[in-house]
Amino acid sequence: MLTAAENQLRVCFLTIKYNMMREMVNKVTFLTNICFMVLNNASFLVQWFILFRIRDEVGGYTLREVMLLWGLTASSFGLAHILFARVFSLPDLIVKGKLDSFLVQPKNVLVSVITSSTDISAIGDFLYGMVILCICGPGVSGFFLFLLFTVTGAIIFTAFGLLLGSLSFWFLRMDFLENQVVMGMISFGTYPDGIFKGASRFLLYFVIPVGMALWHPVHVIVNFHAGMFLAVLGYACALSAAAVAVFYRGLRRYGSGNLMEARL
Amino acid sequence: MGNTRGCMEQRVLFFYANKVKPFESAYSIKGEERTVMQAITVENLSKTFRVKRKEKGMRGSIKAIIHPHTEEIRAVKGVTFTVEEGEMLAFIGPNGAGKSTTIKMLTGILYPDGGRVEVLGIDPTKKRKQLAYQIGTVFGQKEQLWTHLTPNDNFRFFGAIYDLSECETEERIEELSERFALKDFIDTPVRNLSLGQRIRCEIVASLIHKPKVLFLDEPTIGLDPVVKENVRELIKQMNREEHTTIFLTSHDVGDIEKLCRRIIIVNDGQIVLDDSVERLKRHYQDKRALEEIIVDIYRSEGDG
Repeated sequence: MLTAAENQLRVCFLTIKYNMMREMVNKVTFLTNICFMVLNNASFLVQWFILFRIRDEVGGYTLREVMLLWGLTASSFGLAHILFARVFSLPDLIVKGKLDSFLVQPKNVLVSVITSSTDISAIGDFLYGMVILCICGPGVSGFFLFLLFTVTGAIIFTAFGLLLGSLSFWFLRMDFLENQVVMGMISFGTYPDGIFKGASRFLLYFVIPVGMALWHPVHVIVNFHAGMFLAVLGYACALSAAAVAVFYRGLRRYGSGNLMEARL
Repeated sequence: MGNTRGCMEQRVLFFYANKVKPFESAYSIKGEERTVMQAITVENLSKTFRVKRKEKGMRGSIKAIIHPHTEEIRAVKGVTFTVEEGEMLAFIGPNGAGKSTTIKMLTGILYPDGGRVEVLGIDPTKKRKQLAYQIGTVFGQKEQLWTHLTPNDNFRFFGAIYDLSECETEERIEELSERFALKDFIDTPVRNLSLGQRIRCEIVASLIHKPKVLFLDEPTIGLDPVVKENVRELIKQMNREEHTTIFLTSHDVGDIEKLCRRIIIVNDGQIVLDDSVERLKRHYQDKRALEEIIVDIYRSEGDG
């Protein structure tokens, strides 16, 4: 069992390494993608700096907390897209029958599929998150909590993407919904949760998991709360389990395909 | 001319009225005595796809949203056959006959709706990963190699997938690159290789773990005659030396004639013929080409 896990990890490591090598074929594109993503993220903080010169807090957040929120959003989103980018194009694989080559390998299909691609600009997101972490300096415990929540955030992003993407086994054009909702998570997740009330707050906590992926973790980093901490960990596990179950349930309906395709 | 053709079709239908003819009988005629181990056992295998249908135009599209209409397509209808260990079998049929669907059920890609499949005694629906260690697949229309990597790096990756140690992988690459003459381009990125070179690399990648059964789905598609001949020779050599069972689908009659002793023809999801290539040819006394015989069988079954 342990050996199987080791072998699976070895293949994952190789896959990610080869994904990186593929992206590095064009050095200029590789580097500019990363740099421009860092700059792109940084430009959004300018508006917050201006806003916080007028007000001391927005939706219960100070400038430092907003920066933490931005950093955590960027690093979670970045990590998910570096390691598991394919999950965000899963509908395309399912609908066009591109899972065949993963299904004939003696490895976990889901892990093989989701690690089979890397979004290179996500390295910029991840680096940006780490820079923000260094600037905000949340202390030693805050530092490790930030790193842990980057992982749980990435897991929640991935699991939610997997859950929506797997619906493609039943419904067509889920790629549109998946993209909209995942990008929605980023858009809403970079604003303080205090500005959302009523139905929108309910939606962002219980339907789209922005609350558990980003807002709760920032609250825990600023003011540690054991219950909230465990709730985030539990939620990440439960959502992952649900997403994996839906994927494997759907896999039984997989119809393959005969399109002429190359693995690029 | 038309009359002659009609008679001939009737003759085919009459001769193959019983359809499935166990291949073992061909051996008993020749009086060979040997223990037959089954590499593949398929019983009553079936698969149905649900396909959406819509009327033409925008009106049809709107109607399809309100009242979606789906139709069941029975791609495979109760197929039964066995394949012996070390056998080279051609599994052929016209487009849409159900051969790729069958292969995909044998390799664990698709779940069957009914029936039983065992490949090397393993049920692909229950132990897909365990089976994957024992089989190799080459889909001529789908590339499994990473195009930005060299064949060498690709083979190392496949070695890792099949849990081979670096030393084992190295030895196997050495052995196969010798046999498949890859030395000249083993360090060239796959995207810069010719189609023939790429197919050879695809086959080597699928052989890296010494599979006992190799599924080849149109492995020579798009290749020139010389390269085709090379690929066939290599497949034959591998079957001879490693006793690999070959399950081949191809529209190229040359592949069938030069590689396989036995042929299964499927049409409309059913087996319409299961016999040795030799007996099939012998049956047609007028010594026509195998391609013509196969076309006649496709047509007669299609009409029927």
